[in-house]
Amino acid sequence: MACVMPQTPNYNLHFMNLLEIKDLQLDFGRGSEAARALDGVSLTLKQGETVCLVGESGCGKSVTALSIAQLVPSPPAHYVGGQILLEGRNTLEMSPEELRRIRGGTVSYIFQDPGASLNPVFRVGNQIKESLKLHRPEKATDTEVIRLLKLVGIPAPESRLRNYPFEMSGGMQQRVMIAMALASEPRLLVADEPTTALDVTIQAQIMDLLRDLKQRLGMAILLITHNLGIVGEIADRVAVMYGGQVVELAATTDLLARPLHPYTRALMNSVPKLRSTATRLPTIPGNVPRIGQFPTGCRFSPRCPIARPECSSHPPSLLEVEPGHWVRCPFWQT
Amino acid sequence: METTDSSTASLSAQPLSPGQLFWRRLRKRKIAMFGGCLLAVLYASAILAGFIAPYDAVRQDRARFFHPPIWPEFKGLRLVVPRYESVSGDFAYKKVSGDTCPLHFLVSGAPYRLLGLIPLKIHLFGTGDDQYPVYLLGTDQFGRDIFSRLLYGSEISLSIGLVGIVISFSLGMLLGGISGYFGGTTDQFIMRWCELIMSVPTLYMVIALRNTFPAGISSAQVYGIIIIIYSFIRWAGMARVIRGMTLSLCEQPFVLAARGLGQSHLKIILRHVLPNTFSYVIVAATLSVPYYILGEVDLSYLGVGIQEPSASWGLMLNAAQNTEYLRDFPWLLAPGAAIFITVLAFNFLGDGLRDAADTKL
Amino acid sequence: MLKYLAKRLLHMIPLLIGVSMLTFLLMSLSPGDYFTALSQNPQISPETIAHLKAKYHLDQPWYVQYFYWLKNAAMGDLGYSMAYKIPATSLILGRLWNTFLLSFAALILAWAVAIPLGIRAAVARGSWVDHACAMVAFAGLSIPDILLALLALWFAAATGWFPVGGATSPVHDLMGPWGQCLDYLKHLVLPAVVLAAADLAGIMRQMRGNLLDTLRAEYVVAARARGMTPFWVVYKHALRNAINPLLTMFGYSLAGLLSGAFIVENIMAWPGLGRLTMEAFFQKDSYVVVDCVMMATILLVAGNFVADLLLAWSDPRIRLK
Ligand SMILES: Nc1ncnc2c1ncn2[C@@H]1O[C@H](COP(=O)(O)OP(=O)(O)O)[C@@H](O)[C@H]1O
Ligand code: SF4
Ligand SMILES: [Mg+2]
Repeated sequence: MACVMPQTPNYNLHFMNLLEIKDLQLDFGRGSEAARALDGVSLTLKQGETVCLVGESGCGKSVTALSIAQLVPSPPAHYVGGQILLEGRNTLEMSPEELRRIRGGTVSYIFQDPGASLNPVFRVGNQIKESLKLHRPEKATDTEVIRLLKLVGIPAPESRLRNYPFEMSGGMQQRVMIAMALASEPRLLVADEPTTALDVTIQAQIMDLLRDLKQRLGMAILLITHNLGIVGEIADRVAVMYGGQVVELAATTDLLARPLHPYTRALMNSVPKLRSTATRLPTIPGNVPRIGQFPTGCRFSPRCPIARPECSSHPPSLLEVEPGHWVRCPFWQT
Repeated sequence: METTDSSTASLSAQPLSPGQLFWRRLRKRKIAMFGGCLLAVLYASAILAGFIAPYDAVRQDRARFFHPPIWPEFKGLRLVVPRYESVSGDFAYKKVSGDTCPLHFLVSGAPYRLLGLIPLKIHLFGTGDDQYPVYLLGTDQFGRDIFSRLLYGSEISLSIGLVGIVISFSLGMLLGGISGYFGGTTDQFIMRWCELIMSVPTLYMVIALRNTFPAGISSAQVYGIIIIIYSFIRWAGMARVIRGMTLSLCEQPFVLAARGLGQSHLKIILRHVLPNTFSYVIVAATLSVPYYILGEVDLSYLGVGIQEPSASWGLMLNAAQNTEYLRDFPWLLAPGAAIFITVLAFNFLGDGLRDAADTKL
Repeated sequence: MLKYLAKRLLHMIPLLIGVSMLTFLLMSLSPGDYFTALSQNPQISPETIAHLKAKYHLDQPWYVQYFYWLKNAAMGDLGYSMAYKIPATSLILGRLWNTFLLSFAALILAWAVAIPLGIRAAVARGSWVDHACAMVAFAGLSIPDILLALLALWFAAATGWFPVGGATSPVHDLMGPWGQCLDYLKHLVLPAVVLAAADLAGIMRQMRGNLLDTLRAEYVVAARARGMTPFWVVYKHALRNAINPLLTMFGYSLAGLLSGAFIVENIMAWPGLGRLTMEAFFQKDSYVVVDCVMMATILLVAGNFVADLLLAWSDPRIRLK
């Protein structure tokens, strides 16, 4: 199998992070209605690396992922601070034209509900070809579409070209979405809970496919998931988010073996069996406050089992407590 | 994480009832509040029509056909009404400068019955002198005061919608509820009827129905007939929507529970099913009132509705159908403006209600 | 697909029979008939009237009359107009054509204006264009057809740009084929504009709402995430989906349009079905009233069928099921 990724001539890229999110801050709404949805999110991805983003629903995972290509609807969203460096260039400062080129070019997305992400009135062949036309117009042919469909493991791709999305099962639809994302040979694939809407058996198949593609194509993957079981199987590193912040960031083995942040520990404790694929991210006691209603200090302090009085007034910062292991809690040792 | 959503809701400072929430959202919509206030004014003046109108609906001023509007003016600090005299030619009038009569408030005039009950003679304003009439919107082809007739006409136009809505919506809700609740043949039968009625363009159906009543009948009878005709037509659309809602409501636990407890069918429909459609019904009702208003206007305009000499907006517009009249005496279109404003107010209010109730309509 | 259309088509037959029966029943309930007035005339003998009545089965109960009517109607004979003294078929067909043309012209006009405006308003949501469209929509929804038609009459009278009344001018027969066409169009313009203006607001609002809904859809986000230009996102992905609900409510808007045409015809003297209905109504020309109601219903039902066809053509989920 030939490698589809073109060998990059600029070997500097190998030393540079593919994606570097630095201290990103985002508000929804303005003035008195402003609510800080992301508050200092920092994250890096190297070439070919897979990073998982985990956290309770509403903690800002999707907003973070969509921010990379400036896809958060604005208004109401606007960026208050920080940088998103994609291949060294800040996407927050890109012109609409440049943004259009990186969307689906450098970075491709797949979303949670493939049924809703495919346009119901166009044939799938047409929709995949559309992606090709946008980014590799010279390859916008049926042959290429068939090759892509084969790549994502769709049987009898020739006959599938003329199907409408509603004529396919959810798993097949998600494969089509992946084929569409791969059409531009992206360096970064962002998968926002790609299996949440699918049956359990199909979920495993799609994850296998992603793992396989990652090895064959060598692209980086930012995977958002509810499923802690998946994390151990696919991720090189894991970022845990809480309330619009990254609270812990570490190599997967590190994090799973020794979670340091109280929130991560609570998460892990409430997972009965780490490797069971059906486990969704569990709830921990207490409620996630709404964005904009967090305490001034540590955002986790109302629910933290080891909180101290000063926690609610002094916001902790993300510190590298061990090489490559970052934690947003000064009391991680307790 | 479905649990987090509900728990955050319970965490929020002060829980509001759905009604309060609704009212809060409605108040934020300026345009809806404006529509509501406008309607309040319109209905108040319809109720007080006899008092506000300086003349009664049938008084003819044979010296002043097609008289242009006469407005009071300020003379010093007093309001006075100028006198016009007729100029030779077709209904041309000229203001006589300097010849005025003071305008009085709460002046005694033609007798009327407030709300159809209380006999009174007092009017909001007037001159009390027929040589100095005050015709705010001019007169029509019989020399009748258009402003007064507009007010008396509003009694019909503004009430017909409310009565009509009550009848057709009760019918539509009940039949729709029955249709969705029982299903089967009952459902089939009712739905076929709806389809039948809805497949005839409204006005054709209206005329076919109007044909079953005699032509020359009193205005009061016509009023009833118009309501009957439009209710007969408009219950169908309502029934269809309510049926759909009932179908989904019947799956709800509280309806199943009520059935399990062995409550009577009618009681379940009236107590458990229909109340849950109210937010839709309120919005739909507000937006439907104009259909009745326009229905009366259409029929009266076509000459098969309210008859002379009664005052009705449609009938008054009929006088404007002559292009020459229209060109020379544009104030004959005043009832058109009244209809427009009333319908607009209902649409403003209905639109705001819909947004606030968040129903898809 | 074919099965779906055949089903829709077959469904129309009992519907039309039901409507015709209902209208016939209503006609028979009507007090008095054409001959009530005729019998007042001393010059016409009771025998003549009885003879005429028997000839058109008017002395029979309504259901017998109905069967005669249905039998003949199935063969294209719509009965006889007592007032015009000609076969109803020839009378009706000309009027039907006029009403069809008026409604069709208004429909095209309304959609041609409303859809671009609706799109503009949705795309520029919250801008002054959007607010202006919303205000125009409110006004359009609230202005009664009658007032609009009267204003148009006034406009025609004031400017003299448009002929008023009828579908043709008195010298129509002396014109060449092009002149005749032009003459007809000139008469059509004003009623069609009035009718379209009354219909426009609803379509525009609907279009705006649909497009806003589809612009929020996930496939639109997904299309943007693929790097598609905003223009194509709106005009290819969102618009194609926003049109479908509009076609679904086409029937509803057509019913309103035909009802509006009824009023406009009567005010602006456009010789269509609505005007004929009123003429026949006042003269108690029962068959003609029934025929008019039926023709209007057929127009509506046929229009709905065309809308179904368009919807099936536009939406693969319906076409392939
Ligand atoms: N378009 C929007 N307008 C306002 N708030 C939003 C919008 N999108 C997301 N949010 C808010 O941002 C927060 C993060 O959302 P999201 O990133 O979707 O969470 P998740 O981690 O479940 O993907 C949520 O609290 C949500 O309410
Ligand atoms: S800073 Fe305090 S409250 Fe926050 S996680 Fe650490 S110990 Fe808990
Ligand atoms: Mg999400």
